[in-house]
Amino acid sequence: METIILYGPYLLISGCIFGFFMAWGIGANDVANAMGTSVGARALTLAQAIFVACVFEFAGAYLAGGEVTSTIRKGIIDPSLLQDTPDLLVFGMLAALLAAGTWLLIASSKGWPVSTTHSIVGAIVGFAAVGISVDAVSWSKVGSIVSSWVVSPLMSGTIAFLIFLSVQKLILSTDKPFENAKKYVPGYMFLVGFVISMVTLLKGLKHIGLPLTFAESLTYSIAIGIVISLIGSYFLRKIEDTSQTRGDVVFDGVEKVFAVLMVFTACAMAFAHGSNDVANAVGPLAAIASVVQSGGEIAAKSAMPWWILLLGAGGIVAGLATLGYKVIETVGRNITELTPSRGFAAELAAATTVVLASGTGLPISTTHTLVGAVLGVGLARGIAAIDFSVVGRIIVSWVVTLPVGAGLSIIFFFVLKSIFS
Amino acid sequence: MKPTGFTDIIKKSPFGPIKAHMEVSLNSTKELINFLESAIDSDWDKARKSRETISDLENEADSLKAETRSLLTKSLFLAVPREDILDLIRLADDIPNTVKDISGLMIGRQMEIPSEISHSFLSFAKEASAIADAAGEAVDYIDELFQFSFGGNAATKMQELIEKLDILENKNDQSEINLRSELFAIEADLSPVNVMFLYNIINKIGELSDRSEQVGHRISLIASR
Repeated sequence: METIILYGPYLLISGCIFGFFMAWGIGANDVANAMGTSVGARALTLAQAIFVACVFEFAGAYLAGGEVTSTIRKGIIDPSLLQDTPDLLVFGMLAALLAAGTWLLIASSKGWPVSTTHSIVGAIVGFAAVGISVDAVSWSKVGSIVSSWVVSPLMSGTIAFLIFLSVQKLILSTDKPFENAKKYVPGYMFLVGFVISMVTLLKGLKHIGLPLTFAESLTYSIAIGIVISLIGSYFLRKIEDTSQTRGDVVFDGVEKVFAVLMVFTACAMAFAHGSNDVANAVGPLAAIASVVQSGGEIAAKSAMPWWILLLGAGGIVAGLATLGYKVIETVGRNITELTPSRGFAAELAAATTVVLASGTGLPISTTHTLVGAVLGVGLARGIAAIDFSVVGRIIVSWVVTLPVGAGLSIIFFFVLKSIFS
Repeated sequence: MKPTGFTDIIKKSPFGPIKAHMEVSLNSTKELINFLESAIDSDWDKARKSRETISDLENEADSLKAETRSLLTKSLFLAVPREDILDLIRLADDIPNTVKDISGLMIGRQMEIPSEISHSFLSFAKEASAIADAAGEAVDYIDELFQFSFGGNAATKMQELIEKLDILENKNDQSEINLRSELFAIEADLSPVNVMFLYNIINKIGELSDRSEQVGHRISLIASR
């Protein structure tokens, strides 16, 4: 208790710095996977991708990021068990941020496909189980989080498979693919707007003063979906059929129609990413802030200060602006085989899954969800060649990340504890 | 910072090098016609130059074949069965090989084509080259087929191309029979060894069109799955 009162401001400032750093890392690296697909398919230029990412990551974090943040903050370990030792919670959360940040720095300098989510969850479980007590961890919650890591790629894969199958049946494998694309693509646009806004609105926007009922949410979501498909149709009208001219196969008429659609799914993807991944940086910070600001009280019921989400969103944008654009460019260059008709199916499936998880408060890995979605499109024979050995490597890296994140955070936890007491 | 490995799951499509390989093969069948024209004119200097070009093209085709195979590692999941692609590239690679064989045989023996059959001979070879072109068109279509998920217009167009290929091949078979009977009519006046080799060359040109036809059929098989 005295520690908190004595060092409170310093701890909070460190927390802000570490949290911002973590968010910066997410913006610099993680966002690239969400946005790179659109740049690779040339649906967006690099500059447009940065703009979309800044706006929608921010919106996603602010409007729909609350649930996951609260899971990270008080779902994995029950703060009420630490009533008498609030300083341990603060040290632990700082250690977790440091551990996850360090591990991500190492991994991304080597190009390993690790996930920010897995790092932070591993780190929190680590310090709590070893540094405090095994009972401090809410194992049932951890169990549901870990199973969501298995379910989310499967779910996005299945959705992507079905979406691409519908694209084949309705558009590609027909006699008039171009006409059918113009006819059905606004429908997919509606789906993008509807699904994303429905999940977001259902979770409620109470924190910005907009409590909605289910019926209201449904009405607004349908309205948003219609508006989006109208905007999309406007842009579609300008596209002319160039599919007769042979040559640059990728960009003939049909793919141009899908490229417009992909602008929308890119926005959805950035929104989804913001809603889920920003919590990895700000969740621990929120836990620290609530302890410090209440002067050592662990008030599990206190509302989360919303400036924290802003800080996280700001960190992501800063990461994007300083390094992220380069990584997006690299990802985009490596992923040109994913044409708009395939890319949108993967993005829509991944965004839907991630936003659903965000609404339920489950921290999942956006990258792994996207991997699942790409596999789904591949299984529908939409991608010429998919390397399963890389999929294996990704699975290994997510399993390895948990003990490494936990180990690092245990070390940092004991270091911090000995410094301050 | 490096991108975190996610993009590596999507690998380069093997269709690109297959198309490039076919283009090289077609260049070699075109050069074969130049070669045969020079041989008929007994212009062996010019023929030798064509022969060099053919040999270079064959090397290029070999390296493209190797590139395609190297793209097809076992861990890949492909939109098209692996064996079909390997089969396709194996069949297609026979085209520049056969062209090289024909030119090599002819230049080694400085084979004269008897003037009585030279016209039919050349048009027979040109037909074979046209069949290779038609097969090339089908190979060139593989991207579209993939883009449209092996259905719709792309599949219909592919079937049309294959039908065209079959018609050309049937015609070519008839030309082969005619050419053989023309050669048969004059063979008593020629040296037996020369006649033997002429039949051999005709066989090989026939093989060339067979291979092209098989390439086309392999593609239509890939398309129909």
